[in-house]
Amino acid sequence: MSDETTCSCPTPETYTSKDFRSTLKPIWCPGCGDYGVVTAVYRALAAIGRPPHEIAFISGIGCSSRIPGYTTAYGFNTVHGRALPIAQGIKMASPDLLVLVAGGDGDGFSIGGGHVPHAIRRNLDLTYIVMDNQIYGLTKGQLSPTSPRGAKTSSSVYGSIEEPVNPLLYTLAYGAGFVAQGVPADLDGLAKLIEEAIRYPGFSFVNIQSPCVTYGEAETQVKAQRLRMKKLSDLGHDPTHRIRAMELASEYGTSLYTGVFYRNPAPAPTYDSYIKTMQQELASEARPLDCLLPLVT
Amino acid sequence: MLHDLIIGMAGSGGDGIVSAGESLISASAKEGYFAILTKSFGSQIRGGESSCRLRVSTTPVLNPGGTLDVAVVLNWEDFLRFGGELPVGPDTVVIYESKTNVAPDAVPLKIKPAIVLSVPLEEMALKAAGTQLAKNNIVLGLLAGWFGLARQGILDGIYKKFAKKGDEVLAGNERSFALGVEYAEKNPLPQDRHLAPPAAGKVASKILTDGNEMCGAAAIFAGCKFFGGYPITPATEIMQYLQKEIYKYGGSVLQAEDEIAGVAAAVGASFAGIKAMTATSGPGLSLKTEVLGLASVAELPLVCINVQRGGPSTGMPTKREQADLFASAFSAHGDTVRPILAPIGVFDCFDMVVEAFNIAEHYQTPVIVLSDQEIAQRKEIVDPVDTTRFKLVERLRPNAQELENYTRFKYTDSGVSPISHPGLKGGAYLAAGIEHNEKGAPTANGEVHAKMNDKRVNKLAPLKQRRDLFEIEGDVDAAIGLIAWGSVAGIVIEAVRKARAEGLKVKSLVPKLVYPVAEDIYREFFASLQHCLVVEQSHQGQLHKIIRMWVDVPKHFTSLAKSGANPIAPEDLVAEIRAMAASKA
Repeated sequence: MSDETTCSCPTPETYTSKDFRSTLKPIWCPGCGDYGVVTAVYRALAAIGRPPHEIAFISGIGCSSRIPGYTTAYGFNTVHGRALPIAQGIKMASPDLLVLVAGGDGDGFSIGGGHVPHAIRRNLDLTYIVMDNQIYGLTKGQLSPTSPRGAKTSSSVYGSIEEPVNPLLYTLAYGAGFVAQGVPADLDGLAKLIEEAIRYPGFSFVNIQSPCVTYGEAETQVKAQRLRMKKLSDLGHDPTHRIRAMELASEYGTSLYTGVFYRNPAPAPTYDSYIKTMQQELASEARPLDCLLPLVT
Repeated sequence: MLHDLIIGMAGSGGDGIVSAGESLISASAKEGYFAILTKSFGSQIRGGESSCRLRVSTTPVLNPGGTLDVAVVLNWEDFLRFGGELPVGPDTVVIYESKTNVAPDAVPLKIKPAIVLSVPLEEMALKAAGTQLAKNNIVLGLLAGWFGLARQGILDGIYKKFAKKGDEVLAGNERSFALGVEYAEKNPLPQDRHLAPPAAGKVASKILTDGNEMCGAAAIFAGCKFFGGYPITPATEIMQYLQKEIYKYGGSVLQAEDEIAGVAAAVGASFAGIKAMTATSGPGLSLKTEVLGLASVAELPLVCINVQRGGPSTGMPTKREQADLFASAFSAHGDTVRPILAPIGVFDCFDMVVEAFNIAEHYQTPVIVLSDQEIAQRKEIVDPVDTTRFKLVERLRPNAQELENYTRFKYTDSGVSPISHPGLKGGAYLAAGIEHNEKGAPTANGEVHAKMNDKRVNKLAPLKQRRDLFEIEGDVDAAIGLIAWGSVAGIVIEAVRKARAEGLKVKSLVPKLVYPVAEDIYREFFASLQHCLVVEQSHQGQLHKIIRMWVDVPKHFTSLAKSGANPIAPEDLVAEIRAMAASKA
C-alpha cells in the first residue's frame, strides 16, 4: 500500500484517543450522531499518530461544525459554508499540516456547495468529513439540501417538493479520488474510514450519516442504522471501480451503504506538490527585495 | 519653455493611440522626466474608442492634470465620446486628422481653441510607410517636433518594437516618425511650446509602473506569502503580477472559484501563520464582507486591496471613483473597526501596502487598502523605492512561558495578544467567528462579549496618533483648508500650491489613514479654519460625512463631490480657493 506517502511523521509516536479529546463539553443533544463521529475522529487521529499541534481542523457553521473545539488540534470554527476554501489556504500556506475539514450537509452542499467541485478538482491533500443528517438542526429543523422529497420540516410543512442533493454521486462525478460513507452505528468501521481517508494522498471525502436525534426521522437514528446498513466490502464491491461506485452511490437515500465507494488506485499529484515544485524551480529568478521592479534603461 | 505638458489623444481601437502614449512615457522615463499616463477605453474588449492622456513634467507629477495643453484627434466622434475626460480649453493646441473633413474654424468643440491644426495623418503614413497603421508614429513625430519631446527615446522605442518585424516595417515606421518631425519643423507653432529638459545633470534611473504592479511588488517586499483572489476589473493585475512573481519568493497564489473563496483562503493562510492578502474591486468587496468580519473577530492579520471603480453594482468597471469608503468602513455586521489606508499615487502604493501589512500584523486585524481605477491602471514614472525606509513588522508570537498555558485571546494592556499558528507545539487553540473567551472557548456571555469588543476596538486606538500617515501642507494659520484622500489628493495639493503662489493663504490635509478617524489630527487642522472644503470623487462626499461623525467641524465645512470618471481639474479648485478667500470678509 502506498498509504504512508501522505503522513510523513518524522518520529512516529504513540497516541491514544484521549490525547485528542479537549476539555470542552459538546453542545450536542444527548443521542446525537455527532458524538460517534468525534469519537471516531479521535481514534483515527490516534491511529495516524501525528501530534495534535500538527493538525488543523477546520469547520463551517452548524451543530456539527462545533467539532474542532472538541479536539486538541488547532481548530478554526469559521463562517457558514467557507470551511473548504479556508482549509485550502491553510494547506497551501503550510503543506506539512494534516488538514481536516468538517461540516454539515447544509454547510457543504447548500451555502458552501459551490466550493466542493473546486476543492476536488484542485486536489489539495485534505480530508472533508460531512455529517449528513438531512436537516438544519441548529436553526430548529428546516429543510436541508439532502432532505428527501416529501420531507415535512418546519420550513416544508406540506412536504418537500424538491429533489435532494446526492453527496456521494456529486463528489464522484466531480472527480474525487476517495469517496466513502460511514455511520456512527459502526464506530470501528467509521474510525477506519476516516483514517483511510486521511492516508489517501489527495482530496478525500467521507459522508457520515449522522442522525439528528431531535429533528430527524426515526429510520435515520443509530438503532435503525444498525438494521439498514450494508457494508460495501460484504457486497464484494471493488473500490477501484468508479462507474460501479457511481451506480451504488445513486442509491443514496434508499440504501445505506457503508465503506469505501471509490479509491483512485493511481492518485494524481496534489496541488500542494505542484506548489513546492514551482517554488523550487523559480527560486533562482528572485530579484533582490530592494529592487523588485526593474529600472527603465 | 514649459515645465509641464498635458497631452490628450483619442481614436478608434486600431489607431494605436494608446500605444503612442506608451511610447511617449517610456521615452520620457529614459530621458529623466516624470510623467503619468492614463488610458481610457469604451468597455469593449476589442475595437471601440480608446484614448490616453499623458502629463510630462520636469518635476514629480501629482495627478494627470485638468485641461489639455495638446489634444490629438484621430476622429471627432471618438474624441467627443470621452467628454470631460479630455477637456479642451482656450489655450489647447488641437491637432486633428484632415481626413475628418472639418474646417479648422468649425471643429465641434464648445470652446474655441487658439491653435487648431489640421494634419493629413493618414496620407502622410501611407506616403512614409505604405500603411495607415503608421499614423501613430506620424503623431509621435509631430509631438516631438512641436513640443520637443524625447526624440531619441521615441526612436529607440520604435526600434525595440519593430526591429523584430523586419527591416522594411522598421524603416517604414522610422520614416513616419521623421516625416512627422519634418512637418512640425516646416510648420512651426505661433509661439514656442517646447518642454524644458529634465532637471539638469540628474537623469537618474526611473521606474515605469502602475498602481497594481506597485501593490504586488510591495506585498512581496512586505513578506506576503499567499494571495487568494478572483479576476475583477480593475484589480486583476495585482493577482496576475503575484501569480507570476510570488513563487520565486516561496509564496503561492490561489485563483479561487469566487471572491468569497479568495478572501477565505487568505484568512486560512493567515491562520496558518503567514502574511496573506486578497485584492478586489467594489462588487468583490461586497462579497468578501462576511469573511473580513471573521478576520476581525478571530483577530487574524489580513490585507485586502480594494481597487475602487464606478459603482454601485457593476457600475463603470473601467472608470475611477472614490465611492467605496462607506462600504469599506461600515460594511461589517456587529461592532467592527477596520483600518483603511489610501495611496495618493502610484509612487505611494508601495508605502501603503507595506504599511497595511505592518498594521495588519501588529494589531492582528484586516486592513483595507483603498486604491482606485486611476491609480491602479495609470502608468507613472517614479523614483526607485528607497526600501531602507521600512521596518517590517511580524506578528507577536507567544514565548515559551506563554505556551505553557497558552491563552490566545488574553486581555492585555494593548489589546494585542500573542498569536500562535498550527505546527507550534503548545499553541493549539480554537479560532472562531463565534464570540469566545480568552481561551477561545465559545461563549454567549454578555460581559465577555463587551470585554472582547473593547479589546478588538481599543487595540486600534494608537493608529489615530500616527501623524506620519497624514500629509499637511501650506500655511499653518490659514483660514482656508482643503481635505482630500486617494487619487484626488494630488489634485488638491497642486491646487493649494498654485493658490499659494498667487499669494492666497491656504493649507491642505491628506489623510492616508482614512479610517478610523484620527480626531486629534483633524481638530488641530481645523483650529485656524473658517472654511474647509473636502474634495472627493464620489456623489455623496463620503469622507466629508465620516469626519462629521467624529469631529466638530469648522463653521463652513463644505463638500466638493463629483461622481466618477471625469477628472477634477486643479485649476477649478484654485478658483474655489479664490472664491472662499473672497467670501471670507
